[in-house]
Amino acid sequence: MDFIVKLAEGFINLFQTGADTFIGWMGSIVPLVLMLLIAMNTLIQLIGENRINKIAQKSAGNPLLRYMVLPFLGSFMLANPMLHSLGRFLPEKYKPSYFAAAGQFAHTSNGIFPHINPAELFIFLGIASGIQQLGLPMTDLAIRYLLVGLVMNFIGGWITDFTTSYVEKQQKVKLSKKVHIEG
Amino acid sequence: MSKKVKIVKGSGGFGGPLVIGVNGKKDKVMYVTGGHKPAIVDKICEITGASSVNGFETSVPEDEIMVAVIDCGGTLRCGIYPQKGIPTVNIMATGKSGPLRQYITEDIYVSNVDVDQVSVAGEAEGAEQASETVQQASSEETEKEEKTEQEATYSKDKKIMETRAEQENKSLLTKIGLGAGKVINTFYQASRDAVETMLHTVIPFMGFVALLIGIIQGSGIGDLFANIMSPLAGNIWGLMIIGFVCSLPFLSPLLGPGGVIGQVLGTLIGVEIGKGNIPPNLALPALFAINTQNAADFIPVGLGLAEAETKTIEVGVPSVLYSRFLNGVPRVFVAWLASFGLYK
Repeated sequence: MDFIVKLAEGFINLFQTGADTFIGWMGSIVPLVLMLLIAMNTLIQLIGENRINKIAQKSAGNPLLRYMVLPFLGSFMLANPMLHSLGRFLPEKYKPSYFAAAGQFAHTSNGIFPHINPAELFIFLGIASGIQQLGLPMTDLAIRYLLVGLVMNFIGGWITDFTTSYVEKQQKVKLSKKVHIEG
Repeated sequence: MSKKVKIVKGSGGFGGPLVIGVNGKKDKVMYVTGGHKPAIVDKICEITGASSVNGFETSVPEDEIMVAVIDCGGTLRCGIYPQKGIPTVNIMATGKSGPLRQYITEDIYVSNVDVDQVSVAGEAEGAEQASETVQQASSEETEKEEKTEQEATYSKDKKIMETRAEQENKSLLTKIGLGAGKVINTFYQASRDAVETMLHTVIPFMGFVALLIGIIQGSGIGDLFANIMSPLAGNIWGLMIIGFVCSLPFLSPLLGPGGVIGQVLGTLIGVEIGKGNIPPNLALPALFAINTQNAADFIPVGLGLAEAETKTIEVGVPSVLYSRFLNGVPRVFVAWLASFGLYK
């Protein structure tokens, strides 16, 4: 009999640990992320999409603008996945590189600005919850994540310029370097 | 004339039934499933006479897509095609979720579909649909009639605010009122969106991850995991190996969907950090190591959003996979350098 009781306790314990973790998050992370989401959503609505589109049009010429400034602002303003739509203002040749950088900005900025990619928040939060458990501040990690991202995502986009040239040669095609916008 | 295909949802799925057939230029079944071809694609093609296209390797003009077949776990792709008005079949059991969830509706989206859910559409259903459209048309007419009756200052289908906003000569007071109302409305709508995101996207994932943590910690598997994870994630070389494996060009598109694998890996490492088995400063390189495959499954869709030409997508997919591979391990290393002095 004792054995069955022990077994049942052990079984329930599996879910109790999960439940404690869950309610811990509901009390700490959920309200904070919710408030951030509301504030950011409002800000984005008030600023409007047109302004960021204008910046995108001017960013085509310079790699630093193209793979650092534009995807950083774009991820903040349009969030995932619409930030990829800003690539339409760039020449065909640079679209893969912009995608490469933008896809990474959708994560590295996500620690401080969770509205960018709430669906994949646990990439950051999974690791950060360990930090929180130790009683250390998550913000330190989030800021360094963002800063390292800022540099390395730019390099990632820039490297893609070269891999694109390589694949162009492989497939014997040439992508246009001129901007082409319909409408 | 070729037949139409009827697709119903599988158990636990969402949406449908969809009845689709070749219609003019729309004669392509596009599948964006990380490379492999689901069996339902062949069956749909067999019934309707459409041709299949691997959307991961090439792109198809949107107006030629009859139906899109995807395997999205609930983050992005499941909303993108419905948003463009393309009927979408998901082989996963994903319902309304992700940032584009408002576009996922029963009349354009069906999920958890396997071969058994795909069948030839019977004629009875066709007739049923026709009668439905007739009903819809008649109800629209009655609505129009109602609208023409209302031409007074305030109409019953508009609030006073809306009527005022349409008037040309606004007094200062009205302008202030409208402005304040607009700001408050923006806040309120933002809040509604945010709560929706939390309820449908973040909290479900939390529940899943919390259960996972519970089982790992409560069952003793945790100790086993600690034995595997600590030597791997507990030093920079192990992290670089994780980053290297995740960025392999033939593996990365398979690890990508929904970021689920990265999120589970992150949680496992987080648990070990919390227990003190992994030093906290390694959290930073770990963030980069578990995510070197970042968005690798999403390349054709993302380039599609950027209105890229077919040629660009064909070049772009391998190009981004290579660049992810090239800068994957260096990212982890740089993050490790940047982690000096963190939590000391």
